Amino acid sequence: MPQKQMTLVIDLDRCIGCCACEIACKQENDVDLEVNWNKVLNVGPIGTFPEVEQYFLPAVCQQCEKPACVQVCPTGASYKRAEDGIVLINKEICIGCRYCMMACPYGVRNFNQQKKVVEKCTLCIQLQAIDEKPACVKNCPGGARIFGDIKDPNSDVSKALQKATSDATHQLPDVGNKPTGRYILHGKNATWRS
Amino acid sequence: MIIEWSLVFFTLFAGLAVGTFACVALTEWTGKASEVRMTGAVVVLVTLAASGLSSVLHLGHPERIFGALGHPTSGIFMEALAIGLFGLGVFFYILALRRNASAQSRRLVATISMIPALALAFAVGDSYVMASRPAWNTLLLPLLYVASAAVMGCFATAVLFARFNLAPPEKLKPATVCALIVQAVLIIAFLIHMAAAPYWEISRSASRVLYGDLAPLFWVGLVLVGLLIPAFLLQRARKDAPPRFASFGLACVLMAGVAFRAIMFLVGSGVRHFF
Repeated sequence: MPQKQMTLVIDLDRCIGCCACEIACKQENDVDLEVNWNKVLNVGPIGTFPEVEQYFLPAVCQQCEKPACVQVCPTGASYKRAEDGIVLINKEICIGCRYCMMACPYGVRNFNQQKKVVEKCTLCIQLQAIDEKPACVKNCPGGARIFGDIKDPNSDVSKALQKATSDATHQLPDVGNKPTGRYILHGKNATWRS
Repeated sequence: MIIEWSLVFFTLFAGLAVGTFACVALTEWTGKASEVRMTGAVVVLVTLAASGLSSVLHLGHPERIFGALGHPTSGIFMEALAIGLFGLGVFFYILALRRNASAQSRRLVATISMIPALALAFAVGDSYVMASRPAWNTLLLPLLYVASAAVMGCFATAVLFARFNLAPPEKLKPATVCALIVQAVLIIAFLIHMAAAPYWEISRSASRVLYGDLAPLFWVGLVLVGLLIPAFLLQRARKDAPPRFASFGLACVLMAGVAFRAIMFLVGSGVRHFF
């Protein structure tokens, strides 16, 4: 089990649905036009006017504690990095079987048609290597994306979660994969439905 | 989820190879219909090669497949192992036939080869059992693949016997009826599982299969072509004559096999599918 677990906490109360994170991700990681490593979805609008609610859900790899994609990979191309718990893909040994795409409960992996390998969010490890935050975090105008070690109580992500009430902290469905990504959404803004 | 055609044909041919080899092994165990053995075994080997080729076509980088040898727990490794051992077994069986090996030796090779064969029929379905795909997350799925192999094997047996103008084995008809009934029951159970699976979504609902956009594929492809027509052909078959319309029956169950696999992929949506 890694000592650290780097992940994203996304404050949906602050997300304005501008998709700057999507664009920043594409620019930084040279992601093909027809695919996404990060995508902002609309949840809603739901209800009848004036009781209508909607929120934006940026969907991205949840950096699972027990990633099913890693468990099913036949070559070990999908792996969880020991030092920080980030789930990565070694494209040099990926055979492009797409088994990991089936195993991901959230469908946040893509098949690169040119390179014939599977790709996903890497939390911009190339930027982390020069002490920078992932491109989506740096470029979020609302400051909705927070990056850090969820196991460190003094990290930005842990502080953000501590600040939010527990009923405002959400995660995507867990089918044994234990997602580490968290979303913050207060009931006064919208009801969590994801 | 989209239909992964290469995987559809990989599992279809794998099932057909297993079913056909079961027929060949049966002739060894009963000591009857020796004429069908060589043709049957060659057909199995060709079908197995077609299965392997289909699976390779699915890969983005098949040249890196040997990397899978280092991770013997993945579903793909188990499939590759089963298909390799089964192919090897069939090859040795053909060799035994060519060299006029004793009946005991042939029976032994055929029996041993049936072990990876059955493992393959199960493994190709078991690889899809995953918590991320609620409709697939059931033991019923690999059992359906085994049942599908059994049905295809029964009709392949009929085709082989018809090819050599032989009367079918006495128990072929009840065995085929049994395989069809088991398959029908498993399909119903699979639909019930799908309807009750957690994280319900319309893309993997029973209503979509029974009266939604998948209804033509289900009722025509699976029920009519895969169950009713083969059952009708069986009812018309005579005990003491070579099977009539055997090839048509085999074509029907193969088409139903494709239909079932296509439905499986189309209802195989993830817990959440964001992209």
